Amino acid sequence: MRLNKFLSLVVFITFFSVLYVYQQSEIIRLAYAGQKQHAVFQELLDKNSVLRYSIEKNSSLVNIGSALSGHSDFQMPDKYQLVKLVPTNSGVTFREVSGSKQNLFARFFGLNRQAEARTVNP
Amino acid sequence: MYISNYRRKCEAVFLFFLLFLIICAFRLIYIQIFRSNYLADIARKQHNLFAEIEPFRGIIYDCNMKPQTLNLPVDSLYAAPNMMSNAQKERAITQLSGVLNLSQDYLRERLSRKKAFIWLKRKLSLQEAEEVKKLKIRHLGFVRESKRSYPNTYLASQIIGFAGMDNTGLEGIELYLDEYLKGTAGWGLFLRDARQSKLDVYEKMVLPQEGMDIVLTIDQVVQYIAERELDKAFKAYNAKGASIIVMDPYTGRILAMANRPSYDLNEYKNVNKDQKRNRAICDLFEPGSVFKIVTASAALEEKKLSEEDQIFCENGAYRVANHILHDHVPHGWLSFREVIEKSSNIGTTKIAQMLGADVVYKYIRLFGFGAKLGIDLPGEISGMIKEPRYWSKTSIGAVPIGHEVGVTALQLVSALSAIANGGELMRPYIIEEIRDRQGRVVKKNSPHLIRRVVSGETAARVAKMLTGVVEEGTGKMAQMQGLTSAGKTGTAQKLEPGGGYSHNKFIASFIGFAPAQDPVVTIIVSLDEPRPYYFGGVVAAPVFKSVAANVVRYLKTKQAVSTQLRLNEDKRSH
Repeated sequence: MRLNKFLSLVVFITFFSVLYVYQQSEIIRLAYAGQKQHAVFQELLDKNSVLRYSIEKNSSLVNIGSALSGHSDFQMPDKYQLVKLVPTNSGVTFREVSGSKQNLFARFFGLNRQAEARTVNP
Repeated sequence: MYISNYRRKCEAVFLFFLLFLIICAFRLIYIQIFRSNYLADIARKQHNLFAEIEPFRGIIYDCNMKPQTLNLPVDSLYAAPNMMSNAQKERAITQLSGVLNLSQDYLRERLSRKKAFIWLKRKLSLQEAEEVKKLKIRHLGFVRESKRSYPNTYLASQIIGFAGMDNTGLEGIELYLDEYLKGTAGWGLFLRDARQSKLDVYEKMVLPQEGMDIVLTIDQVVQYIAERELDKAFKAYNAKGASIIVMDPYTGRILAMANRPSYDLNEYKNVNKDQKRNRAICDLFEPGSVFKIVTASAALEEKKLSEEDQIFCENGAYRVANHILHDHVPHGWLSFREVIEKSSNIGTTKIAQMLGADVVYKYIRLFGFGAKLGIDLPGEISGMIKEPRYWSKTSIGAVPIGHEVGVTALQLVSALSAIANGGELMRPYIIEEIRDRQGRVVKKNSPHLIRRVVSGETAARVAKMLTGVVEEGTGKMAQMQGLTSAGKTGTAQKLEPGGGYSHNKFIASFIGFAPAQDPVVTIIVSLDEPRPYYFGGVVAAPVFKSVAANVVRYLKTKQAVSTQLRLNEDKRSH
């Protein structure tokens, strides 16, 4: 009888000890899993911060202002670089904006309103 | 015989094991009872890690909620020199000095210390961190920290200020409101695994108190316009320094404040004191003719003169005690209005003599000169105004025309705002509100009336005279198409260090408001030692003109857009 009691006590204690160890190992396992998730989350957060900073910096008036004040390659398009979209029965067609072409005679003797400096077509 | 011998041996073995068991039991009892605290302590140290949790530093926004500061995640590089061999150290020194732009001597000195942890470089740039990671040097590690970054680089640099390496405010608002911005660090007792890596399981944890956000009255667009125009004049006239303030005259809200020279907030380590100084509130200067608005207001408020009363301006030379006072252009008889329009020193002095030193002094103080206005920025000075009992015999010919007094640009723009808003001196302020991380308003600033300076009628009459300065007088270069303005020019000779006034060093200034009726902004522009031109009407007035024209147009558009948006919102809700 005593032996039975002793054995059941041993089984009982062992069961709870194993349960405790299992619980602890599960905590550690979950901690590692959480750690991985957290690292991904942190990475995304960091990327978000860097992106936000880049957006704010690039869209800042200081940046745009300095870009427009001669430090950029931005240039207004010339007429020959523009096309006009015209709706037709068959769909949309392109039309050059440069206007009607002058013949050689008209180019020599025609009176333009002002001299135009054209950008060089790269 | 055999059995008894065997039995004795068994008993000996049994006794040996029993003895061993008893020793173990005693040892266990000893460990459990007498050494338990000590050993538990060691185990706790091995398995637990105390780590400080850095709080989030609050963001500074402009009035449109555009961030002026941001926190960027960056890596800081550390080494464990006590675990490194000499060969490893030498390899690290050679490879890191090129990547991190640090001298080999510096790195050698750092790595020669026998410590388990030592910083090699904090807050590396992204590129630097990537390159160091590629080197794969053993016993080097990274700690993730946050770095204060400023997307608008030099915009409002002297106002915003900067935070140092440990994210502690060192200048400007970053310093002034550091208590709110920095928050309180938290801590946690985290679990460590066998490899000493931190696990996100904690025994105890105190969460950090995040820093609060600051909303400024500064409008980023107005600030940009003001700085752009000031910068043009500063460079064009090779000035030593320059300041501009744009203020809402009815509330005292500062819409823009800028100084030159300036600096990039992201590069604060390489700047000198001159660049960091907020001249608009820290520097006092003799204002010159812009100060005549005080004398003019006093004369009208005291009802000693009306606009058309005639004053003889002595054809350009007038003796005050042992000093001969001159006008830049000789004048004969001028009306009071013309004295201000043409900025006659002699006319203004005669008006001051009529009023008396005590009355002039009374109005100087009423307009807020000689005392701090209480702006929420560090470093404001009170200026320098002498009491009449300390005036010399020539002071009556100097103080009313803006000499022998020291004022700040902020005091001047506040005084003019009092004229623009109908006679009330408002406390200037730059911090609109302080919010917690959840967006709840913790502290809010509101317009604060310091005192009434002059009556509404007097203010309107002075404003009309100042409109004349722009239309007919010395401030013609401030005229704008389709927008009226009022203002006053000032060209003050600078004091020489050895005494006496310089003949080639001037402070050119212009203070004005626009539109002349129902003004939206009050602006002061001042340039220190502009060359070759130095007249306020030539150097500072065009800056006022450009800023006022652009800012008024912008503010009206902004108001129209917000009104339209509100109407759309109302329509949608109905």
